[in-house]
Amino acid sequence: MEKNILQLKSLIVVLLLTLSVVTLGARDSASAKDGPMDQLQGSVDEILKILQAKKQKTPEETAQCKQLVLNVVNDMFDFREMAKSSLGKNWNDLSSEEQDKFVGLFTSLIEQRYIGKIDSYDNQKVVYKKQRIKDNKAIIYTDIIDKNLEIPIDYKLKEKQGKWLIYDLKIENVSLIANYRRDFDSIIRKEKFAGLMEKITKLIEKPETKN
Amino acid sequence: MALHYLQMKNSNVLQAEIILCLLIFVSCAWATEHMEPVHDSQPASTFFAPVEGGNGAGDDTLKDEEWEDEWEDSDTIADPLEPINRFFFHFNDKLYYWVLKPVATVYAGFLPDDLQIAIRNFFDNLRTPARAVNSLLQGNVRDSSTEVARFVLNSTVGIIGLGDFAKDIFDLRSSSEDLGQTLAFYGAGGGFYINWPFLGPSNFRDSLGMFGDSYMHPIILLGADDRVIIGAWTLDRVNYTALTLGDYELFTSTALDPYSAVKDAYQQHRKGLIENK
Repeated sequence: MEKNILQLKSLIVVLLLTLSVVTLGARDSASAKDGPMDQLQGSVDEILKILQAKKQKTPEETAQCKQLVLNVVNDMFDFREMAKSSLGKNWNDLSSEEQDKFVGLFTSLIEQRYIGKIDSYDNQKVVYKKQRIKDNKAIIYTDIIDKNLEIPIDYKLKEKQGKWLIYDLKIENVSLIANYRRDFDSIIRKEKFAGLMEKITKLIEKPETKN
Repeated sequence: MALHYLQMKNSNVLQAEIILCLLIFVSCAWATEHMEPVHDSQPASTFFAPVEGGNGAGDDTLKDEEWEDEWEDSDTIADPLEPINRFFFHFNDKLYYWVLKPVATVYAGFLPDDLQIAIRNFFDNLRTPARAVNSLLQGNVRDSSTEVARFVLNSTVGIIGLGDFAKDIFDLRSSSEDLGQTLAFYGAGGGFYINWPFLGPSNFRDSLGMFGDSYMHPIILLGADDRVIIGAWTLDRVNYTALTLGDYELFTSTALDPYSAVKDAYQQHRKGLIENK
């Protein structure tokens, strides 16, 4: 009798466990369907496809390739949000015209930093490790495998009208926005906002990098 | 005679052996005691309370602190040596463009990537003893024994460390600990910023760490000639530069004040390593 009850109990426990695993699994796949990681992965795959399709290294083809990548990139990042947080409280001191102008310059700067690596693309792979979501924000942890070395890149995303947009990324723990924030702040303190704009303009006018 | 020989010539080797034996012994002892079911994350760091972090791998919810003041951690690193630091920053910058980069470019043209990777593995393997000791000092027996296993496997089956056999076959990953992080683990602050000639960005604590770690480097433990040490260091540096050509240029050419940008990046990078993110 006693034994039967025990058996029954364990049966129920097992049943409950399987049930919860099944429902958990179902919930997982449902929420992951169009979750931030899938969206990010979709965009990154698109970029990789463009890069892999590029065969010759003619200047025209490189330029065309860059434009294609930029189109995808522009859809992935929330440049306005990034520009705003890179300025910190200085942002509020600007007129909306100045803000728009700054967003434009900042976007070019980021594009320059990240598009510059395109020329050296050599079949690097991306591994998506995990995602963590809280309300409308998410962090996605990835590794880019470059020459057999894993370089951790973490993306921070925010949902806006069903689309997850990147508003910061950390490469080997270095946050892009935090880094620019320091950089910009020290310039603004010495040379005001005008000095900052001038400096960024100069930087992005420089012919590519000194590669 | 034999004793004399031991004392004079091999004292360094002896030291190395003793350290290694101790290490293996201690980690084995701890491993057998603590490692039974521990499989994922939550390592045996209960030994000394871990410094935050170490959150479960499958954790889907976020701690609030990760969202709060996302960019506000303004504990700016003190930089009383700024003029000297800036001088050496420019020195290193010129060194990069005038010497290191041209040499690394030619080097990369001659050596295939796979060979460069093997050389990087070789030098990385030599840093394993220091990582093992520091993991242990931070109470992370699991990581420490992993490093010991990596060192043994890669130095033998991996052919003097040229291949990362331990990672490729057994998925034994390196922990990237160093003495600077150990000091931080026990509460030491970074101190002021130092931009060393040749060595690059560091701070007071990490410089001490670098110095301490060098005593666990086999080349120094074995009492190699200064020229060998400098030669090895140079090869390591050139090889590393060859593998990462373009990264430095891209970063510094898209920063308004490259010196400050590098300083901040160093601080953020170290902070991440200390918190084991």
